[in-house]
Amino acid sequence: MDRKVWKSLLILVACIMLVISAVFAFVLHSEVFMGFLYGAGGVALFMILAKLLSLIQREGKEDD
Amino acid sequence: MIDLSSVPNIPPGFIFIFGAVLLPLLGKGKARTIYLIILAALGLISVAVMREPQTSWVFSDLIFLQVDRLSLLMGYIFTIAGGCAILYSLPSVKDNGHHMCALLYLGSALGAVFAGDFFSLYIFWEIMAFSSLGLIWYEGSQRARDAGMRYILFHLFGGCALLGGIVIHYMSTGSIAIGPVEYGIGYFLLLLGIGVNTAFILLHTWLPDSYPKATIAGTIFLSIFTTKTGVYVLARTFSGAELSIHGQEFLFVAYIGGAMCLYGVIFAILQNDVRKLLSYHIVSQLGYMVAGVGMGALGLGVIATEAQELAIDGAFAHLFNNLLFKTTLFMCMGAVIYRTGKNNLTDMGGLAKKMPITMITCVIAALSISGIVGFNGFISKGMVIHAAEMEELHLLVLVLTLGSVGTLISFIKLTYFAFFSKNKEIEAKEAPIFMLIPMCVTAFLCIAIGVHPQLLYNILPFVEATTHYHAFASGHTVGVVELVLMTVFLFFMIGFFAPHEKITYDVDYVYRKIGRGFIRACEGPLVNFASAVEKKVLKFVDFIVKFSENPRRETRLGIGTGVLLVILFFVLYLITMFMAGWLSP
Repeated sequence: MDRKVWKSLLILVACIMLVISAVFAFVLHSEVFMGFLYGAGGVALFMILAKLLSLIQREGKEDD
Repeated sequence: MIDLSSVPNIPPGFIFIFGAVLLPLLGKGKARTIYLIILAALGLISVAVMREPQTSWVFSDLIFLQVDRLSLLMGYIFTIAGGCAILYSLPSVKDNGHHMCALLYLGSALGAVFAGDFFSLYIFWEIMAFSSLGLIWYEGSQRARDAGMRYILFHLFGGCALLGGIVIHYMSTGSIAIGPVEYGIGYFLLLLGIGVNTAFILLHTWLPDSYPKATIAGTIFLSIFTTKTGVYVLARTFSGAELSIHGQEFLFVAYIGGAMCLYGVIFAILQNDVRKLLSYHIVSQLGYMVAGVGMGALGLGVIATEAQELAIDGAFAHLFNNLLFKTTLFMCMGAVIYRTGKNNLTDMGGLAKKMPITMITCVIAALSISGIVGFNGFISKGMVIHAAEMEELHLLVLVLTLGSVGTLISFIKLTYFAFFSKNKEIEAKEAPIFMLIPMCVTAFLCIAIGVHPQLLYNILPFVEATTHYHAFASGHTVGVVELVLMTVFLFFMIGFFAPHEKITYDVDYVYRKIGRGFIRACEGPLVNFASAVEKKVLKFVDFIVKFSENPRRETRLGIGTGVLLVILFFVLYLITMFMAGWLSP
């Protein structure tokens, strides 16, 4: 099989996993989507903080 | 038959300290290797045969062996992780001096953990500081020497604060037994001293400054003992410590933990040097432990609630687990540096096929520290967060959960850019067998505890608290799965967190600036003052010499003025005698 088919299969598997986990979240978890919210909120928070802290960064490979 | 229970236990710390003293007699050959392996095994056995509770090796007020469930737990993890670190150091460390420092460090950390009083704790605390300094200086570069100097200055400051706190505590209570301390100056000095070793924010800078500059094996030892001993002593003295603000009690130690968790994570995300990234994660993971300790309650006669017991269990479960996954991570990255000579993520990549066992163990440890279901970090982080939920500390729950997201981000970054990103130029081969064995052992334990947490529950301080805790409760498990899926998806979607060749300043930049400014400000005026004083003194001495040769020529005074001066000096003499009370009857 060529690369494109593999890639499509991988995306398909990822989508199936997402759907299954979403179903699980609805059925088993009373506070549905809280984990997703924490994940999204966390990534957004760390992006903002990283952007802010980039103000105190300098070019270089080794600190001294 | 010999009744083993009647044989007194040997403090495990002494085995390593005396082992260090005898090491130079064995040269540098196979005998040394076998000796080190035997020492590591003896240390573990000495902890395994220990009975609790017991208090022995008592000299006057000093207690060198106090065993209870908590110190025994620390003994287990220190000897397991320390043994792995000894094994790991065998291929890369040639100097006996380095091994001696490592053994002294391990021995003194165990001595501190089993100490029953503040003074013997202080002795081992200081031995730890100086022996660990050797592990930094053995790297040999100027950077390591400078970082080592800053490291020891910080620890001497912390040691002085600790000693001051101990002395004040002793003067007010007459007791040196380790336990909660009275509110006052001694309280804050002790907190400051312990805070340096526990890497509280603003006192943490020695850690990410020095650990990445130590030797490869030295970093493994450093990551195990100092901070964890700090957490242990913090639990003994400040668990559940409260501060009253506007009449409201405030679990300030727990919130210090929460702040450490977020602070460490955000700085870790920005790092390019792999060991610096891991060092910031020590600060972050310590945050979970400090939060657990801050919410808990421990001490003689203290009646703890179920949430407080779970908090202490969670803190020490996380300490135990953290030592397993963090040691694995440092060992994996040490192996990568050992084989490639590269420290930065921007220079790595493509190592998955060249170092497959290192990659697998590193991924296991990364999944563990990120708190993924089925790995040990999931169990202990869950315990701390659940304890915070039970105590209704909602802000702390939010902060600790967000800390998990940050941890996941930085470990996707670490593993992806070290092992899976493309780099055709990199040359490497798999790590030596003595490095692989301890990596595999600790990685295996990460999975074993993650799948079967009862292994860990049985050695925690409060066994009953964990019986009511369900690690794999559906709500918690599904929540973590959701969180992980979303974070992984966004990480690769956005591509924002890729490493850059940049240095991030921490607060130690301010300390160094202030320090240099202070020295410069002192140098100018102080040197001027000193030279002015020197000139005046020389002039005065010259005058005295000439005056003694010919008073008349030097002073050119009249006889009347001379007599007046003599009377003046006599009056001054009388006043002095009168004030000193020598003339009173």
